Amino acid sequence: MTLRAYRALTVRELKRWIRTPTAIAASIMTPFFYLLLFGQAFNLGKLIPSGPTPETLIAFQGAPDYYSYFSAGMVIFVVVFSTLFIGANVIFDKRLGYVKKLTVAPVSRVVILGASVSAGVLRCLLFGGLVIALALGFAHLPGLAGLTVTAAIGPLGVAEIAVAMALLATAFTSLFVALGYVLEQVEAYFALVNLVNLPLLFSSTAIAPSTLMPDWLKTIASGNPITLAVNVLRENLFPWSGYYPYPPELYLGVLAAFAIAMVGLCTAVTVRALNPR
Amino acid sequence: MSSRSFGPPIIVTDRLEKVYPGGTKAVAGVSVEVRAGEIFGFLGPNGAGKSTTVGILTTLLRPSGGRATVDGLDVVDHAAEVRRRIGLVFQESTSDDQLTGRENLELTAALYDVPPADAGPRIDRLLEAMSLSAVQHRLVKTYSGGMRRRLELAAGVLHTPKVLFLDEPTLGLDPQGRAGIGEVVRRMRDEFGVTVFLTTHYLDEADQLCDRIAIIDHGEIKALGTPSELKEKVGGDVLTIVPQRPDVDLVPIVSALPGVVGVQRVESGYRVKTLRGEALTPRVVQACHDAGAPVASVALKRPSLDEVFLEFTGRAYREDEGPGATEMALRMNQFRGRRR
Repeated sequence: MTLRAYRALTVRELKRWIRTPTAIAASIMTPFFYLLLFGQAFNLGKLIPSGPTPETLIAFQGAPDYYSYFSAGMVIFVVVFSTLFIGANVIFDKRLGYVKKLTVAPVSRVVILGASVSAGVLRCLLFGGLVIALALGFAHLPGLAGLTVTAAIGPLGVAEIAVAMALLATAFTSLFVALGYVLEQVEAYFALVNLVNLPLLFSSTAIAPSTLMPDWLKTIASGNPITLAVNVLRENLFPWSGYYPYPPELYLGVLAAFAIAMVGLCTAVTVRALNPR
Repeated sequence: MSSRSFGPPIIVTDRLEKVYPGGTKAVAGVSVEVRAGEIFGFLGPNGAGKSTTVGILTTLLRPSGGRATVDGLDVVDHAAEVRRRIGLVFQESTSDDQLTGRENLELTAALYDVPPADAGPRIDRLLEAMSLSAVQHRLVKTYSGGMRRRLELAAGVLHTPKVLFLDEPTLGLDPQGRAGIGEVVRRMRDEFGVTVFLTTHYLDEADQLCDRIAIIDHGEIKALGTPSELKEKVGGDVLTIVPQRPDVDLVPIVSALPGVVGVQRVESGYRVKTLRGEALTPRVVQACHDAGAPVASVALKRPSLDEVFLEFTGRAYREDEGPGATEMALRMNQFRGRRR
């Protein structure tokens, strides 16, 4: 019964998403612009006149060039970015009355939250994968910088990358879905989301190498979940003994703990918001 | 209607109270018993406490005092079991407008765990009953207000609930749509044996549809009874007839007709008080004709909500509701319907 409701609700979320082509187009365009415009223009690697040096190798955590370094960060950035709209959908669902239908249904609130999160995570994985594919493709286009992978990456590496994206997506989707159930105003929601998102992104190594950061920021960045997820990607894509103190599995472990804590917290908040007052 | 025999009490509230955090007392000691198979109406203006009562009975709101049971189960202690036994149709549409009508019903079937083998045929039957078969594969966002409401009704009874709650089921619909909903609600009761608890602020709707009506105002029940009992208290329908020949005294002739409560001579004709205006009208016309004074015009005035309110609450209907709350709700609903 629970499984059936869970599956039906997840399918509903995905159907709703697939049937808004403009929203899909918009969400695809965002990573595309970041990779094609922002990434190409903000290519720090070009500031180095004589090609990769030991210093740049350290700065880029083993990546052969800045764009490759940046692409891995962009994958995670897009994953986090894709979670933003999920909570806004919850607010729209509330306004449409759809959430009322759910609250009077004999369905566990955990299932309701779980379905929203699953659908959100699936979307994030899709977009994350799209960014990797685009960045890899750019490497073969004349006049464009692209992602160069310096390792022979196996199924385990691919799985680790997918798990890193999924864990981060789970944590943030739960957070934003819970926010959606608590808040009534879309405006308030986006204000809060930016309060969470931007500091998290800027205090991570997604875009800027930690060598450029002051020490205090470096400390924050090293524990930032975005950094942890990016590390899993970079360590698999550009393995280099000169940088990584820990294996990707360790980062994944910490990420998993973070995701579990977020899911727990957000379940409690959502159940409270959906229960009768 | 009152000749129908009903089952044991299925909804029981005992001094039910709800005080909102702001201090507003929305429900102030409501005690009612609704019997199985009954169509029971809560009649009152906006803000009277109708929706709050429905909210408590459907486990969406927690009562501040008193208690309520549905099918013998306390709505607070056994919320999950209560949810399984009830269907609920809200004022607003709760369908996902990006899904088709049929997909919405399939989702409801999954949420209520309707056996998969039963779900398909039952959905077919309900779509048919709601005249939605032809549009079942269209996205709900293309539906008219009446179609949406019928889809809500179908979803409300899909899991064969024991009690169906309808919160203002016809709000914002045109007269045709309202009539259609009324017919459907009666069929649900007759065919599926479901008990119906509805709220409305249309007196005529409550009159035509309900076996019993409770008039609620300021969170309190002001009157409770069958439509005819309540109308009787207010004075019933008023039939105004203007005969072609004013010289014939029709008072004794009309007074003698069964169902006439009183006849009063007015300027150009007569005011006839009755409980059954529609049924009496042709008989009055016939009697006048037989008496040699054919009727020139007839007007039937039913007791309006204002009169009922005046009678039972001692105040005019919309006195302290703020500027046209009903119209606002209507407009918002129309807006919702129009949006694509």
